[in-house]
Parts: sequence; structure tokens; C-alpha cells
Amino acid sequence: MARGSLRIYLGASPGVGKTYKMLGEGVRRKERGADVVVGLVETHGRKHTADQIAHLDVMPRREVMYRGTVLHEMDVDGILARRPQIVLVDEYAHTNAPGSRNEKRWQDVEELLDAGIDVISTLNIQHLESLNDVISRITGTQQRETVPDDRVRKADQLELIDMAPEAIRRRMAHGNIYPAERVDAALANYFRPGNLGALRELALLWLADRVEESLTSYLDAHGISKAWETRERVVVGLTGFPSGEAAIRRAARMAGRVGGDLIGVHVSVSDGLSSQNDDSLAAQRKLVLELGGTVHDVVAHNTAEGMATFARQEKATQIVLGASRRSRLHELVNGSFVARLTRLVPEVDVHVIARSDSERADDLQSANRQPVRRRTAFAWLLTAVAIPLLIALTLPFRDTLELSTELLLALAMVLVIAALGGVVVGAVAAILASLLVNWFFVEPYYTLSIGDTDNLIALMVFVAVAVTTGALVDTASRRSFEARLARREAEALVRSTTSLALDPEPVQRLMEEIHTTFALAGVRLDSFDDGEWTTVAMSGDVTPPATATLSLSSGHQEERNGERTLELFGRSLSSDDQRLMRALADQLALAIDNQHLAAEAADAATLADVDIVRTALLRAVSHDLRTPLASIKAMVSGLRDPSVAWTPEQTAEALLTVDEETDRLNQLVGNLLDASRLQIGELAIDLRPADLAEIVASAVHSVSAPSGAVCVEIPAELADAMCDAKLLERSLANIVANALRFSPPGTPVIVEAAEIGRTVHIRVVDRGIGIKPEHRAQVTLPFQRFDDTPDGQGVGLGLSIAQGFVDAMGGSLTLDDTPGSGLTATIILPQGPLPQDESDPP
Amino acid sequence: MTSVLVVDDERQIRRALSLNFRARGYTVTEAGSGEAALSQIADDRPDIVLLDLGLPGMNGISVIEALRGWTSVPIIVLTAREDERSKVLALEAGADDYVTKPFGMAELVARVRAALRRSPETGTDIAVVSTSDFAIDLAAHRAFVGPESQIDHGAQTEVRLTPTEWGIVSHLVRHPHRLVTYTQLILAVWGPDYEPDQNLLRVHMGHIRRKLEPDYTRPKYFITDAGVGYRFQPDVPGADEASS
Repeated sequence: MARGSLRIYLGASPGVGKTYKMLGEGVRRKERGADVVVGLVETHGRKHTADQIAHLDVMPRREVMYRGTVLHEMDVDGILARRPQIVLVDEYAHTNAPGSRNEKRWQDVEELLDAGIDVISTLNIQHLESLNDVISRITGTQQRETVPDDRVRKADQLELIDMAPEAIRRRMAHGNIYPAERVDAALANYFRPGNLGALRELALLWLADRVEESLTSYLDAHGISKAWETRERVVVGLTGFPSGEAAIRRAARMAGRVGGDLIGVHVSVSDGLSSQNDDSLAAQRKLVLELGGTVHDVVAHNTAEGMATFARQEKATQIVLGASRRSRLHELVNGSFVARLTRLVPEVDVHVIARSDSERADDLQSANRQPVRRRTAFAWLLTAVAIPLLIALTLPFRDTLELSTELLLALAMVLVIAALGGVVVGAVAAILASLLVNWFFVEPYYTLSIGDTDNLIALMVFVAVAVTTGALVDTASRRSFEARLARREAEALVRSTTSLALDPEPVQRLMEEIHTTFALAGVRLDSFDDGEWTTVAMSGDVTPPATATLSLSSGHQEERNGERTLELFGRSLSSDDQRLMRALADQLALAIDNQHLAAEAADAATLADVDIVRTALLRAVSHDLRTPLASIKAMVSGLRDPSVAWTPEQTAEALLTVDEETDRLNQLVGNLLDASRLQIGELAIDLRPADLAEIVASAVHSVSAPSGAVCVEIPAELADAMCDAKLLERSLANIVANALRFSPPGTPVIVEAAEIGRTVHIRVVDRGIGIKPEHRAQVTLPFQRFDDTPDGQGVGLGLSIAQGFVDAMGGSLTLDDTPGSGLTATIILPQGPLPQDESDPP
Repeated sequence: MTSVLVVDDERQIRRALSLNFRARGYTVTEAGSGEAALSQIADDRPDIVLLDLGLPGMNGISVIEALRGWTSVPIIVLTAREDERSKVLALEAGADDYVTKPFGMAELVARVRAALRRSPETGTDIAVVSTSDFAIDLAAHRAFVGPESQIDHGAQTEVRLTPTEWGIVSHLVRHPHRLVTYTQLILAVWGPDYEPDQNLLRVHMGHIRRKLEPDYTRPKYFITDAGVGYRFQPDVPGADEASS
């Protein structure tokens, strides 16, 4: 007999509509003529669910007696006897009552499947064994009912019922998921947006992994080894060259943007000859790991082939490489690496990342100075080796060669030397060549005397031409060097002005610019303010004594205050460099002045803001203080008026008003003091484990609520919370007073508490008008009051003080909708130390 | 029996005021918002309205503007704010007077009585306004100073007032006890085309005080309500009731 098929509706959290969907599918199949029964479905009192069950045959449940209570379980035997085509079974992860045939419901389902019955079931992802740990960490609730992952993965169809966290919370607030009275602290905690978001992501990832698995098996089964794009897999080549880091960061961004994987690979060539910079390679490996990627090492005969093979294995969709530092000659001989790579893996995109500015600047530095010196050295070498060699080679043919030919050959050599080494080397080479030619080739041989006048002229012209050419070449190369320098200056200035305009921190950027442009060891900017020198900014190494000090002009100067100097370290500057430095220093002075002005403008703006807040505050406080004062004054002055005949009842009422208003004033003054204490940060906090029941009781007592207006539900065995009892009491009193104010008559404010994970949650639930979500953030700011309140009392200090106190105690206060309507304030505090910590022997 | 409507969003203030006015024999009704006040005034037609300016929703000034379209019921504004602007706005919108919270009941009751006395508006046909120190003959456009100054006695000294000073004095004495804002006074004396200049008004008032007050450095008749306006405070009981 064929095994039945299993279909599972997977949900990220309760209330997304799995059961509803399952029943819908059952109804649909029944309408198509299948024999569908409901094995077991929990309606949780949800109306829509109950409505759908009515369309289906429901199997009677099996009753199990356990410790005096009757539990209802699915009747597997009953279903097997009935032999429907399809059976609907809710809660795949359910644990059966002790004494049942199978421990878990999924085992029951296995039996049904084995009997050839199709099963449709539901499952919340927190019941998946592999996710159990991570979910209990997220939600703080340990899940006892779990299902092995492979039982779920083996399902023939898995469908994720997805719903946005906000939508779930809306359903929750409307009471569609649980009836309002069942929503306690634990449940409310579970349905926080952060939780729901994390659970949803986990569900999606778990399912995506499963999709990847089945994709891999599909690819294998069909012999497809080409990359198959499901999600981006970005491979970045690690070289150990400086350009690598930029490439890695770019690759990480590409991967991050599309939610893909970052894979770093280093290809070592197996000849073992290639050298690499081990330090920076290690740094790059670290960077890849820090960016959340993985690092692999590959050994291959050839870098391109190694990279290509790896990319194909890893199903890479993108390859990112740093720009090459190889010379053009190297590329001509060995071919372009990128070209070879794209030929090898044409299905993968290859990106080459340009080197960053600073790296180019490094190159420019070296290009400017080194070749000149190197070329001069080469020229000297030629002078010492090539000219004697030429003489030695041509010596055997002395009798057949004309002197002019010999001179032309030597001249050619001298020109090359002059072109390379400039006028000095050229002159030396010319004189050496002329002496040698004179000695070996001009009769009389082996003397320096010259017989023939023609020969003398020829030799003199030779020396003159050599020296002139050398001078010309030297000037030309110096010109080109100057041109390069000028371009560098211009570039530096352009960069600095752009950075001035764009950079939020132009001073630091300019300092770095100066540091790199002039190849200095370091640079430091000092400022003379209030009688002493302080360092404003620095870049590089500033420990050795300064090599130069520039003073910066400033439009801001008052006597010595605001005087600034720029100290340079490590290298003295040429006159050209000094000109550029002066220009940059002026820019720097400008940048500092701008910074000052910007800071002043910002200060002024802040002051203006502070003024507005202060005015509003004064007005609110004066209103709130004056109102009770006005009632008291009116009553007392009225009572004192001898012309009025007060009845005893009127007097009593008047005095009651005075009494109440005095209390109100006192409370307000207390709150104002608390608020200012919070604002100054002068709050003495004494954190110790405390019994919540006691604190809640005294908080409720202090708001002098009429009896029955506050309903306290605190479990007796609740763990102690780490808090300052006095502050917590005041916070709770403020929250409860606020809740009372907005509660319609006859609906009590509920104060309840629960342990969740290692925290204690205290919830104050009212059924008033609630607070619109957009106002929730403001309500805990001081002196906020929403004028649509029925009887607006208080500047709205209460919630802000509560928030301040709870924050100060290291807890958190959040405001939420009460399912139905109203506001629920939740205080979360850490639990006190576990009892065994205390019982440790000293 | 005189009926008072107390409009305030603070329950305790309403309770304090109604207790006091009831003890003094007034009938008191209460309203907690501007909207409620408007409908209650239309239905109950109270004799005077005590109106808090800082109401939630429809504010006090809007209430005054809405009322002045159809009724001249006296309105005394209660305000907890030090804000001069809102007082001036309320007075210019048509409120009769204001009291700053916290206030003594004696002061409030005096203001209420004064407001009730001059309602309906009756200032125009007064002939002579007398105080212990001066007398103003509105019909003859003449002013006299001197102890026990009574025009009939013929023993007083006549003082000469410039036309502008006369305009200011006659407007103020026609509305005894009443706070006249700078803008209202300028409008009454110079007319609508004049650009209001409080400094000029202050200079004229200085001259008037020198001429009429016994000690112009401590005025007792022409009182300044700083930042708001002036009020004529007659000292002879019944002087403000000469016309009635």
C-alpha cells in the first residue's frame, strides 16, 4: 500500500492562520469529492475557525484520564478504522497525554501515513528542534514540545503561512488570536514586534535552507554542475595586496545588498615561488570573517584556474577582484588574469575594483622620486662598463675602421648615457670616451698626444656634442618632473577644496591630505586657546622633533588666543613643496574658521531650541501649579468672607476641596523634583532584589484609588526583581495613576507580574482610550499632555518620570495596546540573583 | 436670582467657584469645555459667564468670538497664564474683564458685580462723573478739580483738557471699572485709521494724571493694567451708577 502524503502548514507564530488555512484546504478537497475528516483541531475559541469546522466531519476524541483530569487526544485507532482519504491534524508537535500509544502526535501521524492516509497538519517554527534554543533565547520562553527537523523536512509539501508582525499584532489587539482575558504578561511578551520579526525571519530562513537543499539534490540528480542563482554568492579573491581591502568591502556590500553570502578565497600557486605579504593577507582574512564571510584556501597550478574551479564549486554568482598591480609587460607575457578568468567561468560576473585614492597617491610618490635616482645609477654603470667594452670590442678592427666611425659609435653610447643620467654623467662619459679613443685609436697609439689636427677637432666636437645633448636631456626630464609636480599640486588642491566643501570633518581630512601628499612622517595642528597650547588635530607619527613649523593666519584672532601652528615631522620640504604647503595651510585655516562658525551657529540653534522648550515648560508648570492654588485660594478667601453665611455642608465640601487640592499640589511638586533630579542625573539608586508584591501594594495604596479600581494579580512564588524599591514604587504609582485617570468607571486597572526567562515583567493594563501609536514615543517625554483627555490633569510628568526611573534601574518600560482597547504599560526588570548564588559557602 | 455659568476644564476650580457663588446666593451652572459652554449659554441664558482661557479643544478666545456674534452677556476671563497677549486678545474679542488665577473671591465677586451693573451697555447718557478729587461734565465738555468738587458748588477750579485728552478721559469714565485695552482706547479716540502707538497714549495719560489726579505718581483713578490697558476706578460709591 502506498504511503500517504504529508502536508504541513508552517507558521512563524501563533495566530498567523495555519489552522484556518488547513481547514480551508480540507473544505476545498471535500468539495472536490475527497473523504476528509478532522482528526483533531483546536479552535482556541476563534470564531472563524469554528465556522469552518462546521463544514467537515469531526472524529470524536479519545478521552484519557490523567491525575484526575480528563484530557482529549486524537483517536488514532478510530481514524484507522474509519479510513478516510485525508485527515486534518492540528499541532504536529503536540505531546500526547501520558499513557497514550505514542509519546508525540507526529508519531501518530506516521501511523496514519503508513496506513496510506494523507495528512494535513500545522506547526509553529518554535517547535522545530533545531530552532528551539535560539527561539527560547529570543522569546525567553522554553518550548517543551519539539519535533525533529527531519520529520518536518520529509513532508511532501511545506507551506509557510507568512504574516507581517504588525498585522499579527493588530489581530492580537483586536482579540482575534486570544480572548483579551487570556492575554497575560508571558503572551504579551511573546507578541512584541521584535520577537515576531525575529521568528518570521527564522521561519523564512529555515524554509529557504530547505529549498536550497532540494535544489542541490535536484541539480545533482540532473547532472547540472553549472551555477544556479538562488541567492547571490560573492567570491572575493584575497591577494595580500593593499587594493584587496577595498575589494573585500565592496564584495561584502554586494553580498549584503542582496542577502547573499560572502566567500573569500586565497589561491596559492603550487610552485611555491610566488611571494606574498603574509601580514596583510592575514588582515584581509580577518576582514572577510568580520564582515560575516567565510575564508577558503585553494592550491592550484595557476591562479586563474584555481579561482575558476573554486567559483564553480561554490556556485558563485559574482567574483570580485582588486585591480592588478602587475605591469603591462607582465600582462603581455602572461595574459590578463581577468580575461582568463572570464573565459574559464563565463557564467559568473567578474568585477574588478579600482584602487582607492590613497593607494594611487602612494604610487605617485614613488614614481616621482625613485626612477630619477635609479636612472642616474644606471647611467654611471653604463659609463664604467659599456664604453670600455665598446673600445675593447672595436680594438681588433682598429686598422680597418675610420676614426670618425669609431667616434660616432662612442657618441651614440654617450648620448644614451646623457639621456639617462643627465649632464654630469654625460660629460664624464664624453671625456672618458674621448680619452679612451685618443689612447687606443688616435695615432700615435697608447699616448694622449694627438698628431692630426682633424682628429683633435673631431674629439673636441665629440665632447661638446655629448655635453650639450646631456644638458638638453637633463633639462627636458627636469621639466617633465616639474610638470608632474605641478599636476600633483593642482590635484592636491582640488582634493582639499572638494573635501572642504563636502567633508563634515574637513580639518582632519586636510591634515591627512597634507600628511600623505608630502610623504611626511606626521603632522600636527596646535591651537593657543585660553593661555595654553592644545592639539587640535594630528595625523601620522608626531613623536620626533618637528622639522618645520608654520603659523596659520586666522580671521578669528584675538591677541594670542586663536593662534595656530602647523608642525611637520619627518622630512624637510623643498621650496616647491613649501609653496603647496602654504596653500594647503591657508585652506586649513579657512576650514578651522568655518568649523568655529558652524559650531557657533549650532550652539545658537541649540540655545533657541532650549528656549522654546523652557518657555513651554514654564507655562505648563505655572498652569499646573496655579490651578490647584486657584481652587484653594478661591475656597479659602470665600470662607473668610464674613458677609457670606456658609452652611456646615458647604464648609465641609469647601474644606474637602482644599484638602484634595493640597494633595495634588504636593504630588506635583514631588514629581517636579523627581523630574529635575532625573534631568540633572542626580539619582541615588540602590539596586537590590526586592519583593514585587510589596512594592506594587504600596504603589497602589499611594495613589489612593477607590476600592475595586485596581486589581492586583501577582503570583506568590514570583522571583525577586533587581530594583530600587522606592523608585519602582514611584514609577508604578505614576503609571497606575495615569491608568486610573483614563479608565472608564467600572473597569478596574489590572496590575500583574510574571517571570519570563531571567526577567520579571510587570504589566499595568487599562481599558481606557489608549494612546495612538504615533504619540507613544512622545508621551514619555516630560511635560507632554494630550489635550483630548477628558479631564487633563498634570503636565504629563507621570509617564516620563516612570520611564526615567525604570531606565535608571536598568529596566525598560514599553507602552502597548491592550487587546480590545486601552493602554498596557510593561516594566521589564532583571531578576535578582538565583538562590544558589547566595547559598555558596564563603 | 443672578445666574453664573462657570466654564473651566478643571473640575476642582468649577467646584470651588460654584460653592462660593451658591453661598452668596447665585445660581450656578458649570461647563467643562468651550463647546458645552456655547450650547448652555444658548439654552440657559446665564446673566454672566466666567470663562477659563486655557480650555482643551475650542479655546476661550474662540468661545468669546462665537458668543459676541449674538449676545452681549458679560464675560469675565479666568486665566492661569501670565501671558499678556491672551488677555489682550480676549478683551479685544469682547470679554469684559479678566481675573488672573489664583484670585481672591472678594475680587472676583466685585468684578462680577461691576460687570453685571454695566450690563446692558449704558455708559452713553451719563451727564456728570464725580469723584472726591474731580468732576467731569460730559455734556458740557468741562472738567473741574478740587476737594469735594461738585459742579453745583461753583468752588472748584476748572482744568483745561486738550481734545485728545478729553477723548481719552470721556471714554474711560463712561466705562467705569472696565479694563479698556490700548487698542480699544486708540480706536475710540483717534479712529480706525490711526496706527496704534502706545507711547503716545502713555504721554497723554501722563498729562491727564497731572491734571486730574491728586498725586499723579500714584494714580488712584486712572489705573494702568500693565501691558493690557487702562481702567477708570471711581472712588465715590454710586459714582458709576449716576446714570442708572
